[in-house]
Parts: sequence; C-alpha cells; structure tokens
Amino acid sequence: MNVPDRDAAVGSQPADDRVGGDDHPAPIIEGRNIVKRFGGAVAVDDVSIAVSPGEIHGLLGENGAGKSTLMRVLAGVLAPNEGAVWVEGRKLDPGDTRAALDAGVSLVHQELSLVPEMTVAENILLGSTPSRSGFINTREQKRIAAEALEEIGVSVDLDEPIARLSVALRQFVEIARAIARKPQVLILDEPTATLTPAETTYLLDMLQRLAGRGLAIIYISHRIPEIFAICNRVTVLRDGRHVTTVDIEDTTPEGVVEFMVGRDLQLELETHRVDPDIGEVVLSARGLRAPGVNDIDLDVRAGEIVGLGGLVGAGRTELVRAMIGADIRTAGETTITRDGITKRIASYRSAVAGGVAYIPEERRTDGLALSMPVVDNITLPNRHALSRAHVLQSRKIVDFAKHLAEVVNLRPPEIHRNVGQYSGGNQQKVVLAKWLGREPEVIILDEPTRGVDVGAKAEIHRLIRELADNGAAVLVVSSDLPELLELSDTIHVVRDGRIVGTLLRDQADETSVMALASGQTKVDAP
Amino acid sequence: MTNDTSTGTVSAPKPAALEEKLEEQAFKLSAWMANQGIFIFTAALILFAAVFIDGFVSLPNITDVFNRAAPIGIVAAGMTFVVISGNYLDLSVVAQVATAGVVLIAVSNETSIPVAMLVAVVIALAYGLVNGVAVGVFKANAVIVTLSTTFIGLGLLRWATGGSIYFGPSDGAIRAFGATRIGPLPLAMILFVVVTLILSFVLTRTTFGFMVRSFGSNREATRLSGVSTPWVVIGAFTVTSLAAMLGGFVLAAFSNTAVSAMSDGYDFRALAAIIVGGTSVFGGRGSVLRTLLGVVFVSVLTNIMVLSGLGFGIQQMAIGLLIVLAVSVDALARKATGA
Repeated sequence: MNVPDRDAAVGSQPADDRVGGDDHPAPIIEGRNIVKRFGGAVAVDDVSIAVSPGEIHGLLGENGAGKSTLMRVLAGVLAPNEGAVWVEGRKLDPGDTRAALDAGVSLVHQELSLVPEMTVAENILLGSTPSRSGFINTREQKRIAAEALEEIGVSVDLDEPIARLSVALRQFVEIARAIARKPQVLILDEPTATLTPAETTYLLDMLQRLAGRGLAIIYISHRIPEIFAICNRVTVLRDGRHVTTVDIEDTTPEGVVEFMVGRDLQLELETHRVDPDIGEVVLSARGLRAPGVNDIDLDVRAGEIVGLGGLVGAGRTELVRAMIGADIRTAGETTITRDGITKRIASYRSAVAGGVAYIPEERRTDGLALSMPVVDNITLPNRHALSRAHVLQSRKIVDFAKHLAEVVNLRPPEIHRNVGQYSGGNQQKVVLAKWLGREPEVIILDEPTRGVDVGAKAEIHRLIRELADNGAAVLVVSSDLPELLELSDTIHVVRDGRIVGTLLRDQADETSVMALASGQTKVDAP
Repeated sequence: MTNDTSTGTVSAPKPAALEEKLEEQAFKLSAWMANQGIFIFTAALILFAAVFIDGFVSLPNITDVFNRAAPIGIVAAGMTFVVISGNYLDLSVVAQVATAGVVLIAVSNETSIPVAMLVAVVIALAYGLVNGVAVGVFKANAVIVTLSTTFIGLGLLRWATGGSIYFGPSDGAIRAFGATRIGPLPLAMILFVVVTLILSFVLTRTTFGFMVRSFGSNREATRLSGVSTPWVVIGAFTVTSLAAMLGGFVLAAFSNTAVSAMSDGYDFRALAAIIVGGTSVFGGRGSVLRTLLGVVFVSVLTNIMVLSGLGFGIQQMAIGLLIVLAVSVDALARKATGA
C-alpha cells in the first residue's frame, strides 16, 4: 500500500491517505470507510474509494472480493453497516436508491435488469416514466430515450421489444437507461462479460467519450487489458479489504494480478495428494457444444481430480452440465467408461444410472429440498437401494442416513432435522452425503465450498481427496484459486466457453491461472 | 419434527430490533399453526359442538356427518397428491366426479356394473394422463390446464347426456351400496377411511409418494437426483383422477341418481379441506391424514351451521374465510421455516 506523498486533502475529503491524489480534482463521489456484512460474513471491510469528474476508475478483485457489494452500497441499493457515501460533499441516506439516483449516481447492473416484453423506449425510462395525471406521455418518453441513445452513439428502434435485441444491444440499452437519468457518476459492473471484442472496443470508446465530458465512471471488470486501456486509476480489493489504489501509469498488468491474488500463501499450506494413482479415462467429452460452451474435448481419469478454472461466466457450469446431460447439448458426445465398457451419456438420468454424481453450484435451489429433513434428502438418489417392491424400508433408511451423516461429519448429526435449518457448510455436507451413498465413479462438483466456513471446507476437501484416492474420477469447478490449486491434479482454464490452457499441478500457480482466465496473456487492449 | 431452531450449530440469532422480534414471533406462531393448528382446532370445534349444539352428539348425527363427507373426503385425499407435488390443485375433479357418477349409472343400466366401472377407470386414467402430460411434460400451469380439462370434460358430458338425470334400478347394487351399514357404520364411510389409509401409505411409504413430496419441495433438486419428474407429475394427477372416480361412484350411490351438475363446487371444497388440514399450497409439506382432519373440520363446521339454522350463503362465506386464513398462515409459515 505504497502511496506517494501528497498535499493536504481538499475540502470535505476524509483524512484517509488512500483516497484522492495530487493530480486529481476534488472527488464527486466518495465511499468512506464502508463496512457491509451479510449475516456473519463481512463482504466489504472498511473500504474507502473516491472518484473525480472525468475519471475512469477501475475496480478489480477476484470473485467474492466485494466489488459488486461495494458498488451497490455506492448506488444506494444496499445500506452499509458502517461508513457512508458522499456525493458532492453531501452525505447520502444509506440504502436509499432514490436519493442516490437524484444525486446523480447510476448503476448499470451486472445482470441485465430490463423487461423483455417492453420496448426500448419504455425500458430506458423504466422507473421514471414521464406522465401527466397518470397518463404516460409517450412523446416525451421517446424524446428522452432517443436523446440518451444518441449520447452513447447507439441507434436502435425505440419501439422494438427488448426480447428481440441481441445481448450486446440490450447491454447498450441498459447503459442508455443509466444515461437518461443525467448521472454525474456512472457505475458499470462487468459490462463486457457478454460482448464480442468489437462490441467491447465500441463500449470502451464510448466510456472514454463520456468521461471526456466530465462524467465520473467506476468500471468493474475481470479483464485486465480493458482496465489498462481506459482507466486512469485502479483500486484493487481482496477478501473485502482495500489492497491498493494506484494511478494506472504507476503499475503493470502483472503488478495488478499480484495485488489481486497476493494472499499469504504459507497460510494455505494444505497438502497436495501424494503420487495419485491415476487410471484409465472414465468420463470423456468430444466436440461438446452447448449454449456458452464451444467445442470442448475433456477427459477425466479414474483417481484423478481435474479442476476447471476461470472467471464467473466463463462457461464452466454450462460445460459440466452439458457434459452429463443436465442441460441440452447442441453438438458433440460424452461417454462414460465402466469396467471396460464405454457408454454414451444420452440423458441426465442415464448419466446418474451410469455412476455420475453431480453436486450443483446452487445447493439451496438445485441441490437440496430444504423443507425436508436430512434423511429424506439422502434417500432421494438412493431410493431404489432403500426400498423393496417400491415400499421404502424405514429402518434401513435411518441406518443408511446416520452412517452417511457420520461419514461427512454432519453437525449436529440430527437426520430428522430439516436441511434448511443447517448452516451452509452442513448443507453442502448433506448434498455430498446424498451422492456418497451411491458410491459414484464420477463426481462433478461445482463450487463445492462456496459460502462454507473454513472448518467444513477442509472436511469437504478431505472427502473429495478420499473419493479420488478410492478411484473415482473427479471434476471440480472452482473460482476459489487456492482451492483449485490445492485439489487439482490437472487444471483446465476456461474462458468464453473454451479451454484456453491446461496446467499440470507443478506448473500451476495463482498468477498463471489468473492470467489465462482473464486473457491477460493475450496482451494489450481488445 | 422440531420447531426449535435455537439449539446446535444453526445460525446464531442476531441482535434484532423490537419490530423484528415481533415479526419473528408472528412467524413462529404461524409455523406452529400450520403444523399443529388443525389438531387443536378440530378438537376444539368438536368440543364446542358437543357442548353448545343440540343434537350434535348422537350416533346418527355423527355417522351421518362422516358418511356425507365420504365423497368429498375421497376426492380430497386423492387431490392431496397434486397439491403436495407443488401443482396447486386439480380443478377438473368437478368434471371427473360427475362423469364417473353418470357412467356408473347410465352404462350399468345398459350393460353391467363391472363394465361401467371399467369404462370409468379408463376415463380416469385418460384424465390423469392428459392433465399430467400437459403439466409434467409441457410444464403448463396446472390451474389453467385443469380449468381447461374441466370445460372439455363437462362439455363432453353435457353433450352426451343432454343434461338428463339418470336413475339406477331401485333394487340394484348401487343403491344397496349407498344404504348399507356394517353395524352402525355406513359402507361409504368405511370406504372413505380405507382409501385415506391406503393413500396415506402410498404417500409416506412408497418410492412414488416419496418422489411426489420431494418434487413438491424442490423440483430441480429432485430432477438432478436422477428422478424422472414428468412421471411423478403424471402419477400424482392419476391418483387424483382415480380418487375422483371413486368419489363419483359414492356420490351417485347415495341418491341412486347421476347428473352432470352433481359435483358442483367439488374442486374448491376439496381444496378447502386440504389447505385447512395444513398441507401447503406451495407443495412439499402435508399429508393425507391432515386432509382427513381438514374434511372432518369443514364437515363438522358445516354441520354446526346447519344445526344452528344458518343458511347455505353463510356456510359458503365461512368456508371462504377459512381458506383465506389457512392460506395466509401457510404463507407466513413458509417464510418462518426459511424454505
């Protein structure tokens, strides 16, 4: 956190040495010592940020570093637990979206928030529809919408329903919507995630034009080349904390990546598997295509843990789901080999029947029946083994569930308690227990420890290693880099639905994975 | 099952404002109401009736109440499957009950009772399949689908019968079934209890019933556990259809007559019993035995109103009010359990 010495802060600037700078005019927006907690977890921990008119300020950090949360606090979507947001020297009411909008802070959301059935003009004026005594003033609506679109230099039919526009155009309409509110501060949360290189270039040019007219822009992106192409300054967050704020001339892409990942590596010294006994290919994909998945060849061998690294939205979840038939595929084939016999995976159910266990990313919506007890959740995939002539064998079920609860170390081991009443870590253990009972030969885990406390995380890692040691083929998707590095024997890095690099255990480190994932190796601006 | 969330590793309570505390109490109360309410209220209602209503406590009155409840009770027991599967309700039971009743009497007049029953079974399976495929395979909304099949079914029935009333032979087996008692117990009432017990067993103890409950609790998690979910939905609708058919038989047997309008209001009355019993309209939570209690509660309440000389309009209002109350409690309880 090395900041060059500076003159005294100007005006209402806080006495925080990380904020502001000699070359920069007085900030228009400031977050001062923002703390935001969700339950027990601290998402943003005492972070300050200040952005001046005409400045494009990059915000970087790994997944879960707290970037989106911080921006939602600045835009008044979330109320901070501590600290406050100041715009033009005036303090905003915490968590008052309306007040933030009125003060000129506009947030372009990460997920598109347009109404697909409504027209471009209606969407741009959504929430501020011009009206006279309850009747919509259509002419005024169109006028303002047209003006906003002109300002960003995009031409699109105002009467076209959003549903008929391309994803890129929708993204631009979303920006026009923010512009229509005549903001002084524009916050963009990964606006280029779904854009092609040409569209990205267009967007970046547009942002520079807007900044040239005095707009303050906060730009979140995982793509480091973009940051270096347009930003004046960059702030890096890690684990909810402020790491650094530097002028872009004073740093390099490599330096920024190091700020992003540079945690105390000696704290993470969990053991790798020693000499894993890796056998034949069990799960295999050839030429696999699906929405968000481009021509994937992938093999997972018996006893091997294969990790899929990459950024959120890179297509990893889509990839594994298409592989096992949980979602549709448009081309290609996946096979599973058992006892020397290779079978095509025709449907998700045939995958499950063939020995696949799938632990989905969203355990609450896709992994568990929360209103049912642990024992029922464990019974579900094992119902055939636990019934005779379709009648469930209660005693067998209870013994089975108790045994598995013990294997995964469920705490407290009360199998008749509803899963919804357990903590995240314990819920994840129940999802694992469901599938362990089938003694699966292929295990696919998508973000296996997201939202899980440290203790449970170590236990889940232990279970995953044991499964591989016992000969299962394991495929892990994880955005948690240390986890990915620690578990995987081989890491494939996915970007834009393709495998862009494969790293063996001794070649992979956080920097090499991150570089591949963010496309930083491809040099320069898009 | 426990309501106690204050123990163990379950997330520790955060310091809350008074307002939040009150809200929490309201949640806890509604969770308790949704879980235990029906037992307490049924007992209280029966006690109230026994003390204050003349003529309530007599063997003829009580067996009569239960006997009358048999057709709607059987329909409701079956429809519990659709509700627990998270598909709201099967409105087409109205058409199904009337069709089964008319087929039983009209077809048996021409041929024989077994043939009539066989025809009714085929029709019931067809209803189950059509409703089940539309909802389970094409993912159409169950309310709209079954509203449509009600129109189709009732339209077909009215067209085929021309709205006429069918009478069974006065010395036939159908009439005999409606009038027979074993000791003091009417046969229809016994059938009602037997059907309830069987369906309860199917829902709680078989893999099919288990999948229905699990699907109602979380359909995606159920699918991803390797369950063929379209078949679960088709199965739930088919159980409902077969129960509606039995309900139609019993209803026709009571009066030894059948007409296309005989089952008006059966959709909503069955739903009332299910919801009042504490089965969740959101699916996943509930049981056939709860539905039995719901039927008893609604029947006793209606009986009290009849014995007190309150008219049909008041009865209808009371049941409507009851449903609003039960559904609100259910929604609050769902929030409280965090599901």
